[in-house]
Amino acid sequence: MTHDTHGGHGDDHGHGHIKLAYQPGLPLANGKLCLWLFLSTEIMFFAGLIGAYVVLRFGVPAGTWPHPHDVHLVEPIGAFNTFVLICSSVTIVLGLEAAKQNQSSIARLWLFATFVLGSVFLGVKMYEYNSKFAHGIYPSTPRSLIYDKADLNYASAVRQRLNDLATELGKKASAEAGEGQAAVPSEDQKRCEDLRDYLVFWAEQTAARSEDPGRRQAALNSLAWFIYPREGHKPEKFLAAETKRMEREKTSIAAELALVSGEQKALDAKKAELEKRDAAEVAEELAATVKARAVADERALTASERLRRVDGWLTLVPALDKLEHGINDAYHSLRLPIHIPSGNMWASTYFLLTGFHAIHVAVGLLMFVLMLRYRLDASNAHLLENGGLYWHFVDLVWIFLFPLLYLF
Amino acid sequence: MAGSDGHGEHSHGGVGKYMMVFFALCGLTTLSFFTYSRFWPFQDTPVVGWVFMMAVSCTKAMLVICFFMHLIWEANWKYVLTIPASLMSVFLVVALVPDVGQRTRYYAEERALYASDYEPKEEMTEAGSEATGDKPAGASGAAESGGDAGSSDAGEAGAGDDGKAAEAAAKADAT
Repeated sequence: MTHDTHGGHGDDHGHGHIKLAYQPGLPLANGKLCLWLFLSTEIMFFAGLIGAYVVLRFGVPAGTWPHPHDVHLVEPIGAFNTFVLICSSVTIVLGLEAAKQNQSSIARLWLFATFVLGSVFLGVKMYEYNSKFAHGIYPSTPRSLIYDKADLNYASAVRQRLNDLATELGKKASAEAGEGQAAVPSEDQKRCEDLRDYLVFWAEQTAARSEDPGRRQAALNSLAWFIYPREGHKPEKFLAAETKRMEREKTSIAAELALVSGEQKALDAKKAELEKRDAAEVAEELAATVKARAVADERALTASERLRRVDGWLTLVPALDKLEHGINDAYHSLRLPIHIPSGNMWASTYFLLTGFHAIHVAVGLLMFVLMLRYRLDASNAHLLENGGLYWHFVDLVWIFLFPLLYLF
Repeated sequence: MAGSDGHGEHSHGGVGKYMMVFFALCGLTTLSFFTYSRFWPFQDTPVVGWVFMMAVSCTKAMLVICFFMHLIWEANWKYVLTIPASLMSVFLVVALVPDVGQRTRYYAEERALYASDYEPKEEMTEAGSEATGDKPAGASGAAESGGDAGSSDAGEAGAGDDGKAAEAAAKADAT
């Protein structure tokens, strides 16, 4: 507005000699203005995602949001990635400085360094994703193994998985054994069957039949703990109590078995004695004896089956107790359902937030590759400036994501 | 585009200033990482750590925006673009709080049972919980009460109706 073109007191009013100077709406270049407009929409975009995460995270039932270690988040790795992004912000800004001073080769070097740092960030992110995938932590079914609640549905999913595995391995074993020969069950197959018959059976039976809701839940929690232990959730006291209980049950079953076998012997003796006498006379008594013997046999069978379950539990559980990181970690092929409270919500938000951020990083890297083709001198410094603005924004988002995801 | 500013001011920026910001950012990152270490004094009240980390993050964000993004040296248009967007972001989060953020606060007991990992309050997984004797062979819970007097006989009662005895023992323990 150097010249007043409106007032009636201008020299050239009405004579058509107005000199118009180009006056931009804002004191900045169009490219930069557009980028800033874009960034203000990006603020809203990430605010939506982060806001959704925050309200979902703090809205879960108290104390159920997964601890970072429960979902294999490693804080130092996150901190390292933060450091990498901060460094890349510095390199791009130094690149811009160099370009402004017409040192295009130095600017190019800084830009390349930024590109490398961005790639390192993505590489670390990939490694992190991979460690989640390896443990069956995916944002959704069918690959996700996460169950929010250790309930009967969870236990039956574990049983189903073990059953399928055992059947599959059994088929494989019999195919290897060839025609007519008895298949030798492999170690894996035996393990599946043991887990199903002793651990899952016990958990399901306790959950279904116990009258004490605390015990019902504790049994299911123990099952979940053996498969995928979470820090500070070991049902130690419960398991100690259950072990004692099982040991007592074992002695009581043994006593019952002794009792039954005594009965069986007595009935056999009676039968033999009756058979010596006149058949017509003792027919009724003999029939009753035979029936009693059948009942005793039945009892012996049930008792020995119960003894098998109890014995199996008593050998299996101490062995599982020795596994440092649970069944799933010790035997990778099992991939049993895991129990992480609010785990599905966590996975959805984590992969959404970091995924969108990673996409932004990837776009930035693409931009850098395209920019490397230019001569980065003072006339092209605006490229570095605008690219840098975008890159700083990506860094900014990570500055918030790191504490929110890794440290909260 | 050479010069790239309508201000005619060339003195801003500078490698020294950028390096100072860089070290400040690294220091702040270490500071928020400090809350994760065991030397952090407010272990019991996580809220303190959260607020602290958010404050640190906001400071870092301001540093990046002001210096790396040169916003401190820009004209007043910067307020038009950044302040409304930031305010709207805050409103967006606040608007989600009543329906989404507090969705589990007023759960009925019934619903809470099906919420993630809800555990019954009166959890009795240790002593006395086995008193109800739900398995066919009588198992007694009194024995778990940590070597109390009278626990051994209940434990050795074996099959039969020791469930009642154990229950009585558990009740006695509770009182």
